[in-house]
Amino acid sequence: MTPTELTQRLRDRVLLLDGGLGSYFIAMGLEQGRAPEAWNLEHPEQVIEVHRRYVDAGSDIIQTNSFGASPPKLAASGLEGRCAELNLAAVELARKAAGASALVAGNIGPTGRFLAPMGDATEEQLEEALREQASALARAGVDLISIETMYDLREALAAVRAARDTGLAVLCSMTFELRPRGVFTIMGNRLVPSLQALRDAGATAAGLNCTVTSDAMLTMVEQTREQASLAPVVAQPNAGQPIATPSGIKYDADPDRFAADIGRMLRAGARVVGGCCGTDDAFIRATRRAIDTMVSADG
Amino acid sequence: MSDLFRELGQHLYDGDAPGVIELTRKAIEQGLDAREILNAGLLPGMERVGRDFKDGELFIPEVIVAARAMHAGIELLKPLLARGAGPASRKIALGTVKGDLHDIGKKLVGIMMQGAGFEVIDLGHDVPPERFVEVVSTLKPDLIGMSALLSTTMPMMKNTIEAIRAAGLSGKVKILVGGAPITQAWADEIGADGFAPDAVGAVECARRLL
Repeated sequence: MTPTELTQRLRDRVLLLDGGLGSYFIAMGLEQGRAPEAWNLEHPEQVIEVHRRYVDAGSDIIQTNSFGASPPKLAASGLEGRCAELNLAAVELARKAAGASALVAGNIGPTGRFLAPMGDATEEQLEEALREQASALARAGVDLISIETMYDLREALAAVRAARDTGLAVLCSMTFELRPRGVFTIMGNRLVPSLQALRDAGATAAGLNCTVTSDAMLTMVEQTREQASLAPVVAQPNAGQPIATPSGIKYDADPDRFAADIGRMLRAGARVVGGCCGTDDAFIRATRRAIDTMVSADG
Repeated sequence: MSDLFRELGQHLYDGDAPGVIELTRKAIEQGLDAREILNAGLLPGMERVGRDFKDGELFIPEVIVAARAMHAGIELLKPLLARGAGPASRKIALGTVKGDLHDIGKKLVGIMMQGAGFEVIDLGHDVPPERFVEVVSTLKPDLIGMSALLSTTMPMMKNTIEAIRAAGLSGKVKILVGGAPITQAWADEIGADGFAPDAVGAVECARRLL
């Protein structure tokens, strides 16, 4: 899918992504210290099963199990030199689950290496590494690329440049937190200028994922409204926060509340939505219902 | 004297490691007490960094660069501090709990702890309670830092603390917890010794506990 095709499609409709993968794999017995990407070869049936849950729940786009499949991140989990192989397997499994019901986005996460002054990596090195992964995903036949959970704008831009050069549509989300002076990444990148920079670098749509719950992300999405050129926005919050009470721990997350917040994000300009950590197929199913209800109400 | 300390604190705040090294050397050459150089020069600079981080003036990159400059100064003072009745280097073992694959926050805590002069043992992510117990009994760290980023893995902190208790090691080590969903209330409920909302707070909390 080219950037123009995705832009066109987003003009016509909202696209629903999937939710988290990691917690499913751990529940299915992912061994301690093992990279989830290793399962693309060792337990392909389980990976397909998780993807299938999201397809059944109504995801329009499912994301490959390749968040940590960039060469530096794989090397850190003892899987060096296996970038092409693991990304190819990731795409094949997602494709099997998606069939004709969903698009497949090749998922890319941070390399885990820090740029100066925190670390010794250079932007060129990160771009080269991310280019290797983006090319592997493109060769394996993904429909688009989705970059997620970036916390340093410089690495996010390197990833967008690498992904854009495949010719495919590119989604890119960074992870922000609410600080005393506004919405920032941990590295101090501001929300609105960051999303603008990602768009300028060639992201078809840019947005936010992880770290915060749906109500906090809603206030962030509302801030992107001040700049029309940022639309369409991507939003994938985490499931709710746990609260410690005298009678034990309680979770304030429930799929319906999450879906209601997503509905408000859509009204604030989000066009690509989904869930991040802690979300499962129940969250995606509830969000599907919320989107469909909105469409018929607006229809 | 106080000018030299103020200048030292400023170079530390600016993350200028060569400047911190130069001024620390100068202070040592002038025959100033190593403990005083630390307490009146380096620490106030780092405390200002921590305050401005909390106020949203500074972000992780500035904080880390300042922590590294602090580390450079402490390295020069260490032999002198050790000669006095000063404490030996404190050890902290860090890990993200079992079931949780997040490790960026924990890595940042590690960098900050190193900057503050701690010896850091990084156990990685998805660390089961047994491994924490093993590390406490064999490597004998002063502190354990546990991180959890998911509401679903938070209870594993409790299991880990219980495992350390069951092994009869609870008096041997202080336990510090953190991560996006973690609160003071949760830390109290599971019997952790300390909680910090971010990497800067983790260092302050570790200092307070020891």
